[in-house]
Amino acid sequence: MGRDGMDAFPEGVVQHILSQVSNARDVAACAGVSRCWRDCVPFLPSLYFPRGAFDAAGGGAGAAADDAIGRMVGAAARLEELVVYCPFSTALLPKWLAARSPTLRVLELRVDSADADKWDHLDCIGLAAGLEELRLWGLTMTRAPAWRRMERLRVLEIVGAVLQDTAVNGAVAACPNLTDLALLGCECSGEAVISLALLDRCRLDFVGSGNRSLRLAAPRVESLEVQGFSWISLRGGDRLKQLTISKNTGSLYHVEMGKLPELEQLSLRGVQWSWGAIRSVLQCSSEVKHLVMKVEFCGDFDTLQPFPEVDLVEFFNSHPKLRKFEIHGAMFAALCQKNSLKNLDSRFVMPCLEEVLVTVRSPLNAEQKLNTLESLVRYSVMLRRMVIRISQMKNCHEASDDFFEDICKFMYMNSGRVCIE
Amino acid sequence: MASAGESGDGADGKGVTTITIISSDNEAFEVLEAAASMSLTIRHLIEDGCADGGIPLPNVTAGILAKVLEYCSKHVAAVAASSEAGSSSNAADAAAAPEKEEDLASFDKAFIDVEQDTLYDLLMAANYLEVKGLLDLACQKVADMIKGKTPDAIRQTFKIKNDFSPEQEEKIREENQWAFE
Repeated sequence: MGRDGMDAFPEGVVQHILSQVSNARDVAACAGVSRCWRDCVPFLPSLYFPRGAFDAAGGGAGAAADDAIGRMVGAAARLEELVVYCPFSTALLPKWLAARSPTLRVLELRVDSADADKWDHLDCIGLAAGLEELRLWGLTMTRAPAWRRMERLRVLEIVGAVLQDTAVNGAVAACPNLTDLALLGCECSGEAVISLALLDRCRLDFVGSGNRSLRLAAPRVESLEVQGFSWISLRGGDRLKQLTISKNTGSLYHVEMGKLPELEQLSLRGVQWSWGAIRSVLQCSSEVKHLVMKVEFCGDFDTLQPFPEVDLVEFFNSHPKLRKFEIHGAMFAALCQKNSLKNLDSRFVMPCLEEVLVTVRSPLNAEQKLNTLESLVRYSVMLRRMVIRISQMKNCHEASDDFFEDICKFMYMNSGRVCIE
Repeated sequence: MASAGESGDGADGKGVTTITIISSDNEAFEVLEAAASMSLTIRHLIEDGCADGGIPLPNVTAGILAKVLEYCSKHVAAVAASSEAGSSSNAADAAAAPEKEEDLASFDKAFIDVEQDTLYDLLMAANYLEVKGLLDLACQKVADMIKGKTPDAIRQTFKIKNDFSPEQEEKIREENQWAFE
């Protein structure tokens, strides 16, 4: 049977095979194989124009791209997915989208952010009323897009864009049924106000100078990662399972949220957080199982300050479900026992703690730190593994050598469970 | 409507039903009914009560039938295991689920790594027997063989006749110059 070649295949099978081909070059090749194959091409569900697709055309690449994209999109009567990474004329986009709006579900475009006025053409994305997924790379948005309500849109991703906050708010408001929202590497300042009833997963990574605030209302959100905001208000954490709040530059001074009863993973990261913000988040996270704390400094204003002392017993009593605990540098240094262990209720225990990762940066307060390490081991009945990272320890003088020795002793006494990196 | 089990097709002591399938060259294969039912064609025959004495498949030779049934048996076992894991509250089971998916993926990859003639035969058999997963797998494999080739190379690989007129040929070449410069 196969000896006859694919000519013997029923057309439905050829169609099925070609439906798995989406790279524009391959589709163009298929259209040139035989009449039967050419006739299948209009029914292909998906077209992908890679970044260098038209590089071979040299100086005429732009015209070649516009021509080929226009022709192929025009011919693909049932097109569901269109991905264009190569340069193209946004002025032609309205025509392409209007032609395919009945069937188009997925659209991904790389837009050259050099020309800010190109955004007017991106208003036409609203023509693709059935769109379910939209991904845009490298655009500049200075005003809210003139989209109608994009009722079917579930996934919106914008990467590497320059955005006005009004533009962000307007774009998101036009897509009320989003389940997935990602705005990554986006330069934006001002206030982002986002309210999405169906949102499940959200990643916001805002960069650049200036203060940014976030007001997020998302009653069903399960996974949330935000970076770059100094002021955060979250309404609707009832279903939140994973939360990461970071501030890579500058400081974070306010977080307000309700209790997070389903929270399993929590990560706090940044250069400087106010103590009020940290306390606020920790108080809402009593159910957390996996906690990462990696904030360098504290302080409510521009002055960087160390952390106030945190009582170890109180901390673990308020987070009894902790299984994995990761704490770094200055925050670890703040953990202490405040004499509470002297009068300790002998029933104190860290019931679920299995894994601990500690980074120690300096030998100051060595005794307190060793006490903390010892307590972590002594009171955690389930502890399987403790890793102590000291490779970046500052301050190379005798005190660090002594400290290092003490830590090594601690490790040997608890061999099998404690190790040093 | 007699069920395959009751017709004595081979329900073993454990109460698991098997079905006999007969290839075009008269070789008989006994498989679990659940596995055979991954083929919609076979499933309909069973439901219509035509399974007595075995199901003959005049279009599928023994070699290919063996492979198709191997695919079905592996996949039906995987489905059963994952639904067990889904209903089990055992954390270890749930954790093992992505690994099992990987196992299945590597099985599929090795399974479809066959000579072109065998690939065609599998494809046609999957199409005729309506085994969706196998049809998708085989079509994807063929599609992978298309990628990166010029029309000529595609025609050669798959022994397809070029039935364009010279004018059509010229027009196509002009339009797609960008793809093959």
